[in-house]
Order: sequence, then structure tokens, then C-alpha cells
Amino acid sequence: MEKIIPFIKYRFIAYAITITLIVIFSLQTYRNGGFNWGIDFVGGIKLTVKFEQGVDTAQIRKVLTQNKISAVIQQVGKEEDNEYLISTKLASRTENVEESTKELKTVIQSNFKNVEILSIETVGPAIGDFLKKSAGKLIALSIIIMTLYLAFRFELKYSIGAMVALLHDVILSILFCGFAGIEINIPIVAAILTIYGYSVNDTIIIFDRVRENLQIKTKQTFIDVIDKSITQTISRTLLTALTTLFAVFALYMIGGEGLNEFASVLLFGIVIGTYSSLYIASPFVLYWEKLAVRKA
Amino acid sequence: MTRGLLYKAIFIICIVCFAVMLILPTIGENTLQIVLSQTSTEQDLQAVKQRFPESKYKVVVNDKEVLVEGYNLNVAVMNEIKRYPGVVDAKLLPHWAEKALLAKKINLGLDLQGGSYLVLQANYHKIEEKTGKPLTNAEKNEITEQALELLRNRVDKFGVAEPSIRPKGNDAIEIQLPGVKDPESVKKAIGTTGRVEYRLVDDAYTQKANQWLKEHYAGKGLPEDQLELNKLTDTIKNAIALPDSLELLYYYERNPQTAKLFPAYPIVLEKKVALAGNDISKAWVAPDEYQQLAVHFNTTPEGAAKFAEVTSEKNHGRKLAIVIDDKVRSAPSIRVQINTGQAIIQGDFTYEEVTALARIIKEGALPVDLKIIEERTVGPTLGIDSIQSGVKAFIVGIAGVMLFMLIYYKGAGIIADIGLLLNGIFMLALLSWLGFTLTLPGIAGFILTMGMAVDANVIIYERIKEELRTGKTPRAAVAQGFERAFWTIFDSNITTLLSAFVLSQFGTGPIKGFAVTLSIGIISSMFVALYITKFIFETITSRGSLKKLSI
Repeated sequence: MEKIIPFIKYRFIAYAITITLIVIFSLQTYRNGGFNWGIDFVGGIKLTVKFEQGVDTAQIRKVLTQNKISAVIQQVGKEEDNEYLISTKLASRTENVEESTKELKTVIQSNFKNVEILSIETVGPAIGDFLKKSAGKLIALSIIIMTLYLAFRFELKYSIGAMVALLHDVILSILFCGFAGIEINIPIVAAILTIYGYSVNDTIIIFDRVRENLQIKTKQTFIDVIDKSITQTISRTLLTALTTLFAVFALYMIGGEGLNEFASVLLFGIVIGTYSSLYIASPFVLYWEKLAVRKA
Repeated sequence: MTRGLLYKAIFIICIVCFAVMLILPTIGENTLQIVLSQTSTEQDLQAVKQRFPESKYKVVVNDKEVLVEGYNLNVAVMNEIKRYPGVVDAKLLPHWAEKALLAKKINLGLDLQGGSYLVLQANYHKIEEKTGKPLTNAEKNEITEQALELLRNRVDKFGVAEPSIRPKGNDAIEIQLPGVKDPESVKKAIGTTGRVEYRLVDDAYTQKANQWLKEHYAGKGLPEDQLELNKLTDTIKNAIALPDSLELLYYYERNPQTAKLFPAYPIVLEKKVALAGNDISKAWVAPDEYQQLAVHFNTTPEGAAKFAEVTSEKNHGRKLAIVIDDKVRSAPSIRVQINTGQAIIQGDFTYEEVTALARIIKEGALPVDLKIIEERTVGPTLGIDSIQSGVKAFIVGIAGVMLFMLIYYKGAGIIADIGLLLNGIFMLALLSWLGFTLTLPGIAGFILTMGMAVDANVIIYERIKEELRTGKTPRAAVAQGFERAFWTIFDSNITTLLSAFVLSQFGTGPIKGFAVTLSIGIISSMFVALYITKFIFETITSRGSLKKLSI
């Protein structure tokens, strides 16, 4: 007889871990001053500039504060490239983005010699509101669509379990962004949507096996079937996560500024998604089943 | 090999060959043809050559034509080079695979090739306030369509190749201009409403102004610098004691050589606007009753009343100036009253002039105020850097996955690796064939899918291993493994596809790119895992003699 790992028995440890993570992440997010919404969502200006001579962050900051501009300054690329990312968010909704962009450009260009502006992004407040609203809608919509699909292919109880796991992943991923101070912009929303697409993959592999094992009529309890199914599928759950992690890790290490934070959210998400497939999804199927039995 | 397997093999080979040919123009070298004007100098040529260092590109100069061959030559580079002095034209020569096959180059997003991205929002409130009733969606769409047409005309004038101008939702317009590094000039042209006004000319003061200019400014042309011109305006205004109800503007003409507008002479107008641009609904060129070319135009019902008023008897003999963005561009005389809302502007026009005038009138009537709400500009070097780090991440990522599969699954790992490579080829081929735009998040999606592509293999292999453990023969285990894994793979991929679909509904370009690469990757990896790798396994196990599977 093969060895079966009692996943369900240890589920409370998993819950404790989840709750601890949520508490730590929330506290740190609070200490960071809330979520760091990117200019995609709140509106603002993002400027990538290249200086001919060596300049440091403090110098740029000094010039900007002198001109009453508060901005986040970040060096990007290699040290010798002298490339900096300067981003300012809209101070108020009525601020004229175009005017502010001109002002920022003028301040930089008049205070430093031979500055090359590599990229400019400006987003007005209206578009930010629109994006924020539609990002929320999309996340909700895709959870509903997936739940419906699972209810159609499996049974309602499975889709409840998957949905709880999904919510778990989404909440933790967003809190992770707040915890790590990662700027939440559109690519990050895409990363989160991908994470739960991925997390559902793992969950389905397990549910598929649960369904198969239930058809083999033995005197096993539902808990035993779940434990057996997770054990049987654990190697592939971990292996598929591992190969994906290879790719995402490469993206994280080499992808450059544009993809770094995106990849780090994916890295976190894939780990958390795998974990939730093992420890969160199945227990909730069980709870639902128990609830249904009690009602009946 | 059975006959069925042979057919499958031929089918697979055909698909792979087709896919490879499709991506040739994307991964191969391209040629950019640059035509210099007859008057171009050696300096101009040097500037062009400097843009393409010989170490990275092959540059051939013959007479007034430069041929550049190399990688990373795209629409943005072409647009950029068009702006160099002395360059009249630049075009990307099609790759032989493009000419011979259906192959298409993968479009690169602005974040990868550089360029400007603008979103303009239409301000319907103003119109609604004016008419006093809310606009229906159909009306809004019509207005947006009109504005789109207009913007296309305006952008075309800048000679930007392959600009993308399209509606975004029903109140915004998205403009992409590959290769345009500094969108200021374009913005100025497309962002302004292009205010057109029709105002009566005051002849007496116009004469006074010109007289003064003749006495004090003789021999010199008017300054083209706006600030100096403004100073001059103030001086003239004081000198001729212009009353408050009148305004001094300039009549602008086009320099036939440079095609630039320059102020020709001052002209004094009433401040009161007789007819506004949005009072005109249509303008076109047609011959008048004397078979002379003239601009015909229709006014809106409200415009018709105003027009009748302004062309009434009391104004006959006066001039009606057409003012575009505070520049007077034409000032025909009023001869008869026009009540019908239909009018013509007659004069001794050449065909070019008359079409230009019609265009000005039409252009002026931008139906709605547009405001820039989003602007993103990426320089070309930043884009190339992104591509390079993306390609590096891709190679490292895929190498890691392949190595792992090889070590973990040995013989079966080789099959999975072949599948992975084919999957990469198929994805690229699909992307270029379907004409999608590759963006930075798109590259991320590509790499991510590469990591996920072997998922299907892992699921199948683990299943085969399980079947083998129950003591089945390799052939039976393989057959069972594929059969049982099929629905699992199908379900799990469909859910990812669903989330990719939802992502693609997100308005912003780059996210769409990510979603599209993700979807294409899922579809192609399913095909590879469930068809091609299955075929390889079937071929291997079809010789009944196989005792042990390397997995």
C-alpha cells in the first residue's frame, strides 16, 4: 500500500500560516503607507532620462525639491548608463497633467546639461479611475467565469473550493504587493490574473483525481479520498510549479526593470497558488460537502 | 511504422516547415532603403550613416540611395530616419519570405520599437450643454468617427508610416505613432480643435495697419517667431488706435518651397464670430456655374440662420475671413445673401488651392473638443534594450526547463524538449501569421508559457509512470497515460484560457498583448503535447519489442 500524506489533518497549520501572512502583510502595507498605486491608476508622470555626466539621486532630488516637485527617483539599468526613472503622482485630481509634464521637463533640462529623455508616460486622473474600476471588474468577472466552468465540468462543491483558493491567492498577491512596496500597475494586475489561472490548473489536477478515485467504490471516507488524491498528484503539482518557476525566475533575474516587479509577483503567486491548491481548495470542498449533508 | 503513423509524420513535418517559413522575416535580417534628395549634402549622408554603425549594419551607398541591412530595422526606425535632413523617403524592403509566402513580420509594440502613444478624450459635455440634451451612444459614435477621420488626415500630413488611430471605448481615441520620439509637434496639430471661425473684415483699419507697416517696416518680412509677431501686433495696435471691438490678426500664406505657413500681411477683423466651425457640416470641391473650381459647403440648420444674417445686404461687398487657429487663411467677398445653408467660396483658385481650402474648412470642423489624457513615449534604445533582455531571459528560462526535463525524465525528457522547441516555433509563427503586436508584457507571456508548456508533459508522464507501476506494458501505459491525462489537461488549460480571455478585454494595449501570447501559447502547447509528443511516443512504442520506457 502506498503511503498517504494526511493533508486534511494538517489543514489548520496551513490556515495559521495564511492568517499570519495576511496579518504580517497587512501590517507592513499599513506601515508602508498603504498600497503603492502606480500612475496607471492614480494618474501622473513617469520620465526616464539619461544624463551625460554622472549624476546621483540626491542631486536630482535637490533640484526637484527646489522647484517644489515631489518625485520618486530611481536609478535604472547599469551604473555607468546614468539612467534614472523619475515619477510623480498627481497631487490632486484637478492638476493639469500636460502642464506638469512640461514643467518637469523644463526643470530637468534647464538644470542638467545634455539630458536625453528616453521615455515619457503621462496618465490623466480620468483614465486612472477607469482602469482601476475595470481592473476590479475583470478580477471579479474571471473568478465568476472560472467558477461557472468548474461547476459545469465538475460539481458545485468543487467550484466553491476552487473559488475560495482563488480568493486566497488574489488577496495574498495583492497584499504581497503592499508588503513589498511594489507599485501596482497594469502589468501587476495581469500577473495576478495569470496567477489564479495557474492556481486553478493545479487545483483541477487534484479535483480530477478526487473525482476519479470516488468512482472506485471502496469504504473510504471522503477525507481519505482527498488525501489519497493529493498524495497521488503531488509530484506533478510540484513539478509543474517548478518548471514554471524556472521560466519566471529567468524573467526575474534578466528581464530588466520593465519585468522585474511583474516577475516577482508571479514568483510569489505561483508558490502561493500551489500551496493553496494543496491546503485550501480541498478542505473547502469538504466543508461544503459536510454542510450539504447536514442540510439534507 | 504503420500507415497511420506515416501520414501523421508527414502532417507534422509540413506544419513545422510552414511555421519556420512564417517566422523567417521576423528573425532574419531586413533591408531599409533610404532615398536622399538631390540637394542633400555630404553631411546629411554622414548623419544617416552614423545612425547605422557599420559594426551592426551593412550600409551600401549608391548615388542618392542608401541601403541598410541588419536586425532591428522596423517601422519606427524608418519613421525616425524619415525625419533626418536630406532624406526624402525611406522604406523597408520586404523579406523574400514575405514576398514568396504568406509570412509576415511580427509587429512590435511601441514599448519595444519606440514611439509615442496618445489617448485623446472627447468632451461631449460641451456639446450636450449647448444642445441642452444628452447625446445618445450612436450620436457619440458618429462624432468619434468624424474626429477619427480628421485625425487620420492630420497625422498623415506628418508622414508617419503605419500610425494606428482607433477609437477606444465610445469617448476616447488612441493614437500610436511608431518612431516619433518627440510628439510635441504632432500633439499640437492633433490635440487642438483646430478652431475655425468666420469673421467680418474691417477694411478701413486693415488699410491703416498695412499703411503703418509700409511706413515703419518697409522691406522687411513679418517675423515668423510668434513672440516677436505678438510684440509687433501690440505696436501696430497702439499706432493705429484699434478699437476694442476689433482684433488684428495676420493673413497667412504658404511658402511654395517649404510648404510652411508664414504671416503675409496684417488684417483687422471684428471680434464677433459670425459663424463657427461647427456650424459647417460639409465642404467639398466642385465647379461653380462658370465652370470654375470653388469650395462648396453646407451649414447646419443653426448655421444657416447665422449665415443668412451675415451675408445679408448690409454686408455685401465686405470680406468674410476664414480664421483657423487665429490665422486668417482666406477672405472671400460677400456678394449675395445665402439663405439655403449652402454656399460656395469663389475666387481665382488653382486646383491645389481650392482643395486645400476645402480641407481646411472640413478639418476645422473637428466636431468635439479632444483632450490628451494619456501619453507614453519610449525612445528606440530603451526598446531594443527590452528586446535584448527579453531574449536573454527567454534563452535562460527555456534552457533551465529543458535541462530539468532531461535530467528528471531522461529519454522522455528529450521528447518533451523537442516538443518545447516546436512549441516556441509554433507560437512565433502564430503570432506573426495572425498579425499580433508583440509587447514587453507579451515577451513575459511568451516566457511564462514556455515554463507552463511542459506542464502537460509532466501531467502525462506522471500518469504513465503510475500506469507502469501497476505493471502495464510500455505501450499500454503510454496509451492509458495520454487518454487519462487528456481531460485533466483540457480542463486546466481551458481555465487559463478563460483568464487570458478576460485579460484581453482589458482596454490597454500591452495587457492585450500579454493575454494574446498566453492564449496562443496554451493552444499551441496543447497541440504539441497531445498530438506531436503523443505521435513520437506511439512511434517508439509501436515496435512491440520495447520492454522498458526511459521515463
